[in-house]
Amino acid sequence: MTSSSASARKALSKIACNRLQKELVEWQVNPPAGFKHKVTDNLQRWVIEVTGAPGTLYANETYQLQVDFPEHYPMEAPQVIFLHPAPMHPHIYSNGHICLDILYDSWSPAMTVSSICISILSMLSSSTVKQRPEDNDRYVKNCRNGRSPKETRWWFHDDKV
Amino acid sequence: MITSGILYLSNWFSLANGINYKCLVIGSSLNLAIRWHAVASWTWDAHDETCGICRMAFDGCCPDCKLPGDDCPLIWGVCNHAFHLHCILKWVNSQTSQAHCPMCRREWQFKGSE
Repeated sequence: MTSSSASARKALSKIACNRLQKELVEWQVNPPAGFKHKVTDNLQRWVIEVTGAPGTLYANETYQLQVDFPEHYPMEAPQVIFLHPAPMHPHIYSNGHICLDILYDSWSPAMTVSSICISILSMLSSSTVKQRPEDNDRYVKNCRNGRSPKETRWWFHDDKV
Repeated sequence: MITSGILYLSNWFSLANGINYKCLVIGSSLNLAIRWHAVASWTWDAHDETCGICRMAFDGCCPDCKLPGDDCPLIWGVCNHAFHLHCILKWVNSQTSQAHCPMCRREWQFKGSE
């Protein structure tokens, strides 16, 4: 759904390339618990498998995250979406877009793929209901032309889940 | 000519620019004129070892530079977090509103500029 916009993206800058190579090495030595990086030769797009934490609503369920890095990463946040099917969660839309502030307004260049993954797993783990956001249909319809979630003007209204 | 030499490493000493220096001193006491060669090494006086933005060592330089040291200096914020000057400038310049420290999210202000 977002592949066209991602492939048209500019190549990684030197600083982005350098940092991603370091993050990849660090990931191989010390991967975040519950995540598996699917090895490809594409440094600019990572596909990561996430398994729900034991004792949570998503225990033993496996989902896939797609992480696309912009030219000026880490000055700019990566685009992170769930590939189909996205987990049922009050902050995850059926098109895979995730309503999580650190991916947009609250991004900091000190964050890493690994710290993003931990935030997403924590968001899944603290969920008490498996349901879509209230405005799911309206939002997904609005994104039909393959719009990136980074173009959405998010409104973060809930810091509990 | 140095016939027998002593070789020792000086203690770290700091200069105003935040760099710590260390000298390797080779000297001889047998010669009338004591000759010595100093080889300076240095390290940044930062608490972390790597820049939180580019993840490169502070003793090295940012990915856009070739030589560490004065050409690729470290800079501190009032929150006491340090970054390569080039890295924090890229971050600050990429923000449309007030930039925040990448580590602690406090408003970013260069130390000594307030």
